[in-house]
Amino acid sequence: MRTLGKLTARPGERILGWAALAALAASAVLSLAVAPPDAEQGNVQRLMYVHVPAAWLAYLAFAVVFVASIAYLRTKRTRWDRLAAASAEVGVLFTALTIVLGSLWGKPVWGTWWTWDPRLTTTAVLLLIYVGYLAIRRLPESPARRARWAAVVGIVGFVDVPIVHLSVVWWRSLHQEPTVLRLGGPTLAPVMLTALLVGVAAFTVAYAYLVTLRLRAGRMEERATREALAPEPAERGRVAEEARG
Amino acid sequence: MDNLGFVAAGYTLTGVSLLGYVAWLHARIRRARERAAERESWE
Repeated sequence: MRTLGKLTARPGERILGWAALAALAASAVLSLAVAPPDAEQGNVQRLMYVHVPAAWLAYLAFAVVFVASIAYLRTKRTRWDRLAAASAEVGVLFTALTIVLGSLWGKPVWGTWWTWDPRLTTTAVLLLIYVGYLAIRRLPESPARRARWAAVVGIVGFVDVPIVHLSVVWWRSLHQEPTVLRLGGPTLAPVMLTALLVGVAAFTVAYAYLVTLRLRAGRMEERATREALAPEPAERGRVAEEARG
Repeated sequence: MDNLGFVAAGYTLTGVSLLGYVAWLHARIRRARERAAERESWE
């Protein structure tokens, strides 16, 4: 957490932001100009280089929510709750992006924008779970109670992540089976695998930057709310005088 | 939309949504800072 504290200072955050931009740009060049088109799907397969990293980073984001939620319930330290909230918000963004990019890929390949296929359905459920998590954080309850409820959802909801990943193995699915994270190793051509892994690395840096920025936004909003609720100086003086009797 | 159109749409959407989220977070930070500054100006 000390490292995270350093990263939320402005200079580190700026460096991370520029690193994310550079990494995403490099990934786009590799994906669009260097990697060859797929033998069967042609150029539309290039959507893999954004769709798959978005999905994996959504998994990572919710894994962070899972760990931070457990840490919060054990220690009651608000820094873990803040981290869970930040990572959940970024995770929802990446999950929504995964679904939309998958839809853009599915239309030309499967002939449909959407189907109630196991992978797509479980991913939609994942999105709903964490949208629900974010909704809980807006309930008009005490911060501690909200944090506790959110932590429980953050822990239980993570069950869907392995279900999403294994859905294409457990059930008949239009969606292709895993080609990288599978027993027996990746089945992608080396240059495609390199482009994909660079994409994953770029999205990981982007995730780190977004969570860092979101943490800072959360801290500043909490402080502004706390100060807004504190009594004004004149009122503080009156209260103090009354207390003195 | 030909297949390259789907690819262009996907990459554009990715860029726009990531940049849009960053812009939104910066706006939230700015608003929080303004609220704090407004508070300080009363004191």
